[in-house]
Amino acid sequence: MATQPTNAKRATGLLISLLIIAIVLAMFFAYRRSAGLGHLHGPRLHVSLSHLPYYAFCSFMRMSAAYVLALIFSIVYGLLAAKGRAWERVMLPAIDIAQSVPVVGFFPAAIYFFVSLAHGRFGVEMAAVFLIFTSQAWNMALGVFESVKTLPNDSVEALDAFGATGWLRLKRLLLPACVPKLVYNSILSWVAGWYYLIACEIIAVGPAHYELPGLGSYLMKAADKGRTGELITGLLTLLAIIVLMDGIVWQPLSEWAEKFRYEFAASSEPMRSLGMLAVLGSVGPTVLRIFRSLFRPILGAVHRALASTPPFEAARYPVLQRTWRIVRIGLIALLLFIVSKGLIDGTIALLRTLMQPWPSAVRQIPAATGASLMRMLAAYAISLAWTIPCAIAASESPRFARRLAPFAEIVGSMPATALFPLIVIFVIKVTGGMNLASILLILTGMQWYVLFNLLAGISQVPADLKEAVRSFGLSRFATWRKLTLPAIFPSLITGSITAWGGGWNALILSEYFVYRSTTYKVFGLGAMLDDATYQTGNGLMILLTLLSMVFVVLVLNRLVWRRLYDIATDRYRIDY
Amino acid sequence: MRLLELKHISRSFPHAKGVLPVIADLSFTVEEGEFIAVVGPSGCGKSTMLRIINGLMEPTSGQVLYKGKQVDGINLECALVFQSFALMPWLSVKANIELGLEARGVAPAEREKRAGVYIDKVGLDGFEEAYPRELSGGMKQRVGLARALAVEPQLLLMDEPFSALDALTAITLREELLDLWQDKTMPVHNIIMVTHIIEEAVELADRILVLSTGPGRLVADLKVELPRPRDRRKEGFNSLTDKVFSMIEERA
Repeated sequence: MATQPTNAKRATGLLISLLIIAIVLAMFFAYRRSAGLGHLHGPRLHVSLSHLPYYAFCSFMRMSAAYVLALIFSIVYGLLAAKGRAWERVMLPAIDIAQSVPVVGFFPAAIYFFVSLAHGRFGVEMAAVFLIFTSQAWNMALGVFESVKTLPNDSVEALDAFGATGWLRLKRLLLPACVPKLVYNSILSWVAGWYYLIACEIIAVGPAHYELPGLGSYLMKAADKGRTGELITGLLTLLAIIVLMDGIVWQPLSEWAEKFRYEFAASSEPMRSLGMLAVLGSVGPTVLRIFRSLFRPILGAVHRALASTPPFEAARYPVLQRTWRIVRIGLIALLLFIVSKGLIDGTIALLRTLMQPWPSAVRQIPAATGASLMRMLAAYAISLAWTIPCAIAASESPRFARRLAPFAEIVGSMPATALFPLIVIFVIKVTGGMNLASILLILTGMQWYVLFNLLAGISQVPADLKEAVRSFGLSRFATWRKLTLPAIFPSLITGSITAWGGGWNALILSEYFVYRSTTYKVFGLGAMLDDATYQTGNGLMILLTLLSMVFVVLVLNRLVWRRLYDIATDRYRIDY
Repeated sequence: MRLLELKHISRSFPHAKGVLPVIADLSFTVEEGEFIAVVGPSGCGKSTMLRIINGLMEPTSGQVLYKGKQVDGINLECALVFQSFALMPWLSVKANIELGLEARGVAPAEREKRAGVYIDKVGLDGFEEAYPRELSGGMKQRVGLARALAVEPQLLLMDEPFSALDALTAITLREELLDLWQDKTMPVHNIIMVTHIIEEAVELADRILVLSTGPGRLVADLKVELPRPRDRRKEGFNSLTDKVFSMIEERA
C-alpha cells in the first residue's frame, strides 16, 4: 500500500467496489422474494441459569466456526493478493471496500440468502456465522498480505538460492512470516466477532422472529424481561470466557509469535503482561504438548506411509490429466454461471424495486444521513478526546503504558453490544431521549480501534528518536509537537479508518432499540434502515438507505481517509 | 582544565535472571581540548557510558562531574550524534538541525542563521528543504553532525557515528570531522567518540580508552602521540592498532 496511488489504480478500486456492491445487493434482492421466513420457528429461549452453560457453548462454537473460516480465507486470500501486482490491484481494493461497508446492513440479506439455501436453524446459523466471519476476515487477510509483502528480500533470496519451492517455501518462509500479524489480528478479530455475535443471535426480520440459542440472545432477552440477576450472570460468563481465552490462548500465542518477528530492534517492550494470567498462560502450552504427544505417532505413521509409496507422477496417467482438465473447466464454468445468474437475477430484482413508487419518506434520507453523520462525528470526537491523551501519557511513562494495555485489552474486548441494554436503559432514564444513548453506542464501536492503534504506534517509536529529543533537551510540549504526535499520526489514521468502519456498523445497531416491546429510535439513517427492515419491510427504503450509506462511506474514504493515509505514509512513516 | 570526571561509575540492567552488570567501577577524567576514543568489544557498555555522561541514563552507582559539578538530568552542554542518525523523518534537514536550538529557546531568526552556518560547514548546501528519507546515509549523518554542532556544545558525544556507513563514506566523514575539530572558529573542542573500529580510534583520537566486556571495565588509557595527519601505512599507526587489538583480544 506504500506505492503511489495512480488514477488507473483508483479507477480500478472504484470499479471493483461498485461491482462488489452490485453483487451483494443483487444477492439480497434476488433472494428476498424467493425465500419466505415466516415458517422459521426457533427453539424457545430460556432465561435461566441452568441453560447458561449450553448457551455460552453455542456462542463459542459459532465464534470458532467463523474464526476457522476467516483464518483459512485470510491465508489463501492474503497469499494470493501478495502473489503479484495484478492480483494485488484487484484484491486489495476489494478488501478495502469490504472493510468499510457496513456489513450489519446486509445481515438481513444474508439471512434470506442462507435460509433459502438451507431451511430452518442451519440456515440461520450459517447466516450468523457469515456475519461474524465478515467482521473477522478482512483485517487478518490484510495482515497476511502485509507480512508477505514486507518479507526481507534476503530471506526470500536465501530460500530461492536453496531451490525451495512449493510446500517447503510455504512452510519455512511464507507462513512463519505471517505468524506475528496473524496472531495480533486474530485477537482483534475475536473482539470484533463477539461484538457482532451478540447482535446477530436474535433475528427479527419483518414478520419472522428467530432466536439462536446463545449468550447474545440470552443477554438481550434477560434485559428485555428486566431480569437483572440473570443479565449480570450472563455478562460475567462472557467476561470469564474472554479472560480465559486471553490467558489460555492469546497470551501464549503472542509470546510464541514474538519468535517470528523480523525486526532487530529491541526497543519495543512486550506490551502484554497480566500478572494473574501468567499462571493460566502455562496451561495452553501444556495442553498443546499433550495434544502433540498424542498426535505425533499418528501423524508420523501417515507421513511414513506416504513416504514409502512411490511419488505420484501425473504425466504417466494421461487419462487422469485429461479428466482433471475437464473437471476444472466444468468447475470454472459452473462458478461463472452462478455468479452471472446471481448478478442478472439481482439486477432485475433491483430494477423492479426501483420502479416501485417511491414513498415520501425518501425525501428525508439526506437529512437523516446528515443527522447520522453528526452522531458519528460526535462519537469520533469523544474517542479522540480521550485516546490521544492516553497515548501521550503512555509514551511518557512506560509504567502507565504497561498498566493501561491489559486493562484496555480486557475492557475493549468486552463486546459493547452486550452492554447496549444497560446503556440504553440508563441513558433513557436520565435524559429521557435516545440521542445521547445512540452516540454512546456508536462510541463503543469506535474508540477501541483508535486506542489500540495509537498504543501500537507509541510502542513502535524508535528508541533513538526518543533519546535524541531528550538529549537535545526538548520541553514536554515540544516533544509532543516534534516527536510524539507526528510519530503516531499514521497509527491515528489507520485507527480512524477502522474506527469509522466499526462506527457505521454500530450506527445501524445504535439508532434503533427495542426494549420491553417499546421501540426507541432517533432520526437517522441507521434507524430508517432498521425501520424498513424490521417493521415495514419496504424493499425500496432498505435499498435506498443502504445505498446512501455506502455512498457516504465511499465518498468519505476517497476524499478524506485515502488522502490522509497517503500523507501519513508519505511524510510520517518511520522507515529505518 | 578538567572538563569531565567519571568516579566509580557502575550500571546494571534488570534481566530475566536478576541483574546484568554492564559497567563496573569505571573512572577516568577528560581534560579540556581532548579528542577521546572509547573502544571495546560489543557489550562492553561503551554506549551506556556515553548516555550516562549525557544524562540520558542514571548510573546505578558513582558520580559524573562536569566542570567539577554534578549535573542533574540532561547535560545541555553536551550534544549526541547517533549511530542510527536519529533524524525525525517528518522534519526537513533544516528543521532537524534547528531542533536543539528550538529546545534552547533560540529566536527563529537566529535559529535560521545558525542552522545555515552549520549546513554550510558540513556541506549540505542545497539540501535545506530535503527530508531525511531522500538522503544517502552519509548525508544523513552530516545532518546528525550539524544538528549536534548547531547547539554549539562544549562536549560532542558520538556513538559509533560512522559504523552504519559504507567504508568510503566513513573515510570522507572522518576527515571532515577532524577538519571541523581543528577549525579554530568552531566552538566545540572536546569529543568523546565510542567506536568498535580500532583504526578509526587510532586515526582520530588524542587518547584511547580500552574497555573490557561483561561488565565493562577500563583496561587501558593510551595517549596517541602520532603526528597529524596520520597515515594508516606508517609503522607507528600499525603498531598502535595491533597493541589495542591484543588488549581487547586478551580480555575477550
